[in-house]
Amino acid sequence: MEEITLKTREIAYKDLSTGKVDRVIGFAKGDFIYESNPTFISDIDELDALVWDSFCVNNLSKYLINELKDVKKIGIFLKGCDSLGFNQLVQDNKVDSDNVLVYGVPCEGMVDPNKLKKDNLLKGLIDIKRSGEKILLITKQGDKELKAKEYEYDKCINCKHPNPVVYSELLGDYITRNNNVVDDFQEIKEIEAMNSEERFDYWSKQFSKCIRCYACRNICPVCSCDKCIFENYEPGISGKGKVDSEDQFFHIIRAYHVAGRCVDCGECSRVCPEGISIDKLNRKIIKDITEIYGEYDAGLNTSKSSVLVNYELEDFDPFESIKGGK
Amino acid sequence: MKKITLDKLSELYIRISQEYDLFVPSDEEGVVSFTPWKDDSNVDFDVLKTNLSPKSFIFPQCETLFNFKSEGKKLSIERLKNDENKFLIFGVRPCDVKAFHLLDNVFLREPMDRLYEEKRNRGTIISMGCIEPEDTCFCNSFNIDPLCAQKGVDVFTLKIKNNIFWKVETQKGRDLTVMLSGLLEEASEDDLKEIELVKESLNSKLEELPYFNIDPQKIDRSLIELFESNVWDEISKSCLGCGSCTYVCPTCHCYDIQDYDGGKGGERFRCWDSCMYSDFTLMAHGNPRTTQKERFRQRFMHKLVYYPNNFNEYACVGCGRCVEKCPVNMNIVKVIRELGGENK
Amino acid sequence: MFLESKEEVIIEKEEFKPLIVAFCCNWCSYAGADLAGTSRQNYPANIRIIKVPCSCRVNPNFVLRAFQNGADGVVIAGCHPGDCHYSTGNYFTRRRLTIFTNLLDYIGIERERLKVDWISAAEANKFASVMNEVLEKVHKLGPNRKLRDVRWKR
Repeated sequence: MEEITLKTREIAYKDLSTGKVDRVIGFAKGDFIYESNPTFISDIDELDALVWDSFCVNNLSKYLINELKDVKKIGIFLKGCDSLGFNQLVQDNKVDSDNVLVYGVPCEGMVDPNKLKKDNLLKGLIDIKRSGEKILLITKQGDKELKAKEYEYDKCINCKHPNPVVYSELLGDYITRNNNVVDDFQEIKEIEAMNSEERFDYWSKQFSKCIRCYACRNICPVCSCDKCIFENYEPGISGKGKVDSEDQFFHIIRAYHVAGRCVDCGECSRVCPEGISIDKLNRKIIKDITEIYGEYDAGLNTSKSSVLVNYELEDFDPFESIKGGK
Repeated sequence: MKKITLDKLSELYIRISQEYDLFVPSDEEGVVSFTPWKDDSNVDFDVLKTNLSPKSFIFPQCETLFNFKSEGKKLSIERLKNDENKFLIFGVRPCDVKAFHLLDNVFLREPMDRLYEEKRNRGTIISMGCIEPEDTCFCNSFNIDPLCAQKGVDVFTLKIKNNIFWKVETQKGRDLTVMLSGLLEEASEDDLKEIELVKESLNSKLEELPYFNIDPQKIDRSLIELFESNVWDEISKSCLGCGSCTYVCPTCHCYDIQDYDGGKGGERFRCWDSCMYSDFTLMAHGNPRTTQKERFRQRFMHKLVYYPNNFNEYACVGCGRCVEKCPVNMNIVKVIRELGGENK
Repeated sequence: MFLESKEEVIIEKEEFKPLIVAFCCNWCSYAGADLAGTSRQNYPANIRIIKVPCSCRVNPNFVLRAFQNGADGVVIAGCHPGDCHYSTGNYFTRRRLTIFTNLLDYIGIERERLKVDWISAAEANKFASVMNEVLEKVHKLGPNRKLRDVRWKR
């Protein structure tokens, strides 16, 4: 049994039994070895279901919004990227941090079962052990060692926050990731280098794949409006029809609505059933904000409000063409 | 039983595309779905499930019902001209074909849905059986035989090694085969023996699948008991309320009718809707299903209890797309298990 | 006479008349447009002005809907930063529209199609010149087919 799993059960048991928390949100195994699903435990007898392994990829922080309506105090297991989302929820006043105990778990990166499936490595898989740059696959046919970077989720490859930025308890040692200095915005720059016809072709092709399932919106920790504009079907506000213009409208406006608050957790691209690279849109805005308004810090600091709800008198002004006068 | 070798397939496609709009499962940027056939299509028959089910051919995601225009006090309504082209879908799996039949139960009973009927009649379906199941498949639990032609299939094919075997099922299929007679050969005795061997090995493979024990018939409580059960509180907790499961599902058929206001005129259209969305049963008086638990319960009660009560068949075909696509790994198998539908 | 005017009509039909939608803030740029009109400044007739109380009222939804419903160019005109009637409105406009114009450019909509400028109530000249400039640039680019809603009929 993985040491970290035992630690999670230990602390959950301690806090649930003393009443420090009323409910614990963590992960439990599903039907397949590569399924670690969100689970909600209020009963100490059920704590044996809690696990922590290399498939615990979901960001659990968004469940807090609804769960805190049911119970008073909640303990939740968060990784680095998840904790950024949590901070953003606190900053948006959707979650009261006094009612949440964050059990931070430093994360080396989660393994993508789709990548394993593509290379036919899922057959007979019994367990996975992760250590640094290597993954050890334990299968019925024997063990196999793999390079982590080839089988991690795309969002994990350039992880900047392997350690939780906010926590009440830290389960595990601090991790330093060796991110060979790949330019974060490399892909964005490639798209920017195209001319406008090519760019539009690229994006309209991506957007036409969209089936408007709204999985990206529902899993985003920052998209937490009580009544989303895309659920408002008054004529002209948002449209249900599946036409190219409505798909483009959805993606552009959603990217704009989370501008300045997006924590770059990568969940949106992960859950898209059609594989649209939504993060390339959000990262473009992050790049612009970094270049124009300074170091991007969504989710790092709950006291500072986000970029687009602030202003400076001497902000960068690309629109001033002829200065005043007649 | 006829057959065609893999290297002759491109000729077959060319010949078919002269008479039909041909759709094949092709791989684009790693995603396999039914797209119009082109010379450079990367056709892939080895992937069992296409990303989206083929239900959009008979039940498109967005369909205009009629156009309207207002000029002063006059309102004119214009019906759209029907598309006359015949289309052919090559490589529909038996689970997806059964799903078409389940949709027929809903749309083709009185009052008949003319738009659906017209599309259904225009289409020709060439089904392809499955010789190697995936871990997420459980069509057997719904009495679907992956090596048998479902009702409504025009031609049934099987891809075994370098051959695609071709069996006519309906008159439409016969006409098609006659049109392609130059390209198809007769299958030999050895070929038929090989098919038998594949059938036997498949049965043993099916028994090893993780979902082999799923049996919805074992859910024997009454409708009210299931509805009021405590199970729903627990299993619906992690549901995000996105529409992924409903949109990739081959049998989900809920739709909404909306108007597009184009200023001087507009159109009324029908589009897919998901019972997972918060405004799903929003009516003039309000919404009777205000929490995710109620919407979650509605989806699975519909598939496992209400629909079988009406049509004596389960509204699930065991394709496993929801198992793969759900962001939080909720799926119908977990629900069936919680409700008691498992052979222990 | 009759033949000549017929030819003129035919030529006009083929010439592209861009449709520009201009969101003008009530206190500065709308007044500036008024002044341009009363001073007989020459500015194009195919600008459709939508009056908003402040430039920060302009939601990016509006811009996208304008393009979807046939606009070839969009202009957003507000007070000079520091002169907003509501004190701080246009500071927010400045930040938001910087991000949004970059985003639209990234999607592939040409930069010349979306113009943001600060026009005060006294700057009739500037209003006319901005509008003329936008019209000329959009005319050169041609009709906008991107983002267009295929169901919209002019």
